[in-house]
Amino acid sequence: MLKAPGWEMSIVWYFFLGGIAGGAYFTAAIADNFGSRRDSAVARIGYLLSLPLVALCGLLLVVDLGVPSRFLNMMRVLKPTDPMSIGAWGVGIFGVFTFVSSVLSFTKSESRAALRRKIGLIGMLFGFFLASYTGVLLSNTALPFWGDARLMGALFLASGGSTGMAAVALIMFLTGGTAGESWHKIERADRYTMIVELVILAVFIAWLGSAARPITTGHFAPLFWGGLVGLGLIVPLVLNVVGHRARALGVVSAVLVLVGGFVLRYVVVMSQHG
Amino acid sequence: MARTLAMFTDTSLCIGCRACQVACKQWNELGLEQPEWTGGYQNHAHFTDKTFRLVRFVEEPKPNGDLAWLLMSDVCKHCAQAGCLEACPTGAIYRTEYGTVNINQDVCNGCRYCVSSCPFGVVAFNEQTGTATKCTFCNDRIHNGLSPACAKACPTESIQFGFRDELVAKAEKRVETLKAMGFKEAQLYGADSGGFLGGLNAFFLLLSKPSVYNLPADPKLPQRNVVVDSLLSIGSALVVGLGALLAFRERGKGDN
Repeated sequence: MLKAPGWEMSIVWYFFLGGIAGGAYFTAAIADNFGSRRDSAVARIGYLLSLPLVALCGLLLVVDLGVPSRFLNMMRVLKPTDPMSIGAWGVGIFGVFTFVSSVLSFTKSESRAALRRKIGLIGMLFGFFLASYTGVLLSNTALPFWGDARLMGALFLASGGSTGMAAVALIMFLTGGTAGESWHKIERADRYTMIVELVILAVFIAWLGSAARPITTGHFAPLFWGGLVGLGLIVPLVLNVVGHRARALGVVSAVLVLVGGFVLRYVVVMSQHG
Repeated sequence: MARTLAMFTDTSLCIGCRACQVACKQWNELGLEQPEWTGGYQNHAHFTDKTFRLVRFVEEPKPNGDLAWLLMSDVCKHCAQAGCLEACPTGAIYRTEYGTVNINQDVCNGCRYCVSSCPFGVVAFNEQTGTATKCTFCNDRIHNGLSPACAKACPTESIQFGFRDELVAKAEKRVETLKAMGFKEAQLYGADSGGFLGGLNAFFLLLSKPSVYNLPADPKLPQRNVVVDSLLSIGSALVVGLGALLAFRERGKGDN
């Protein structure tokens, strides 16, 4: 009876990358504002990562439209209670913040760094928004499971935060920045976020009850339980906890977190694919 | 706003001739599509981008084991509180001065959010035009003093077109008549403007429970939880943000 929107892989990728972009940015802004001076390296990675990702997000959204040349029609109206409408605006505004923060992340001037930190505090709100609104967008449709999932936005936010932190940690590893205290801080931040995500996911499933069946049973069950709950959450959390002195384990943990974040968006979107 | 127009589909008068379905196709120039096997006479199974009026052929088991036909010409409900209209981010979906809901094909950019926001699964995506489509209430006809093509073609007056208040009064009388005739389950669906979705501008008289016709008994506006869901997301943001703050703050203090 009801119709699924028929969104393809581009939307799964958008939800995934948007979560990373938002998560990396707000983590960067928090590190920038509340961390030590040395944490500004973490902040720079977060800002610089969110910029290309949000650009890619915009591209994915436009490409997915039935009439891509009409993407600016989204700017004809601003509906505060419509996730699709404020989402389009939010992606655009967040993009501006990632650009300004990225440029300012190279500054040597203390006054410009202070400005960057202030901008980060406001941009952070849009980062939180980008990571979570996609969940609220799904939970306000007429479809069962999506429309029943009151915690979809909250879950996407925690996952976005966790994947954003994992992505920043991976870049730190790849660029040889794992020696200092900052590495342990980002690991710790991701640990806390993973715990939050696990708790939200448990409540999410319990709250949905039988409405969660499209992902907890049947075709998507192995991916959900194995790929997300097991490999994407519990295993990386354990690796993160037991391996906080062994960098290699932290790196494996970060990779698995990213896999889990992708699997979450994949099973949620594809389980309602029309 | 002008006086609200409506279509009243009285399923007790439907003979399943599909004149409405064909007239809709003809007038709106809706192209050919592959037929679908549904196990009965109904074709298609549901609304598509080329089927805006659809006669449903419901076979209801009778106590003696026989099957009874329940025929219902289904259409976009033009809800007073329309999920598709709420979902549309471009303003392509709008309400006309007659209370009907329409999609401006020149503005729609095909985001498809409306497709999953219709509580009745009416809105369909057209792959050729890249836009969302549905019944227009024959917008061109009603603006030129004509009734919608389906209502015009109906030979039994199962589909009636007119002012909403007059049609509702008529429909209420008809239910009483049918009940007196022994149709105990006869009921109106969507006629009450104080009921679900603020009432439907295309409402129905059914001879059985809505679920028998595959209609939701109590359809709800999909966007009713935006505030709650957003607040829960903000709560999640506070917790995650606080965690990150603690992680970066703890040993960082002495560095400055």
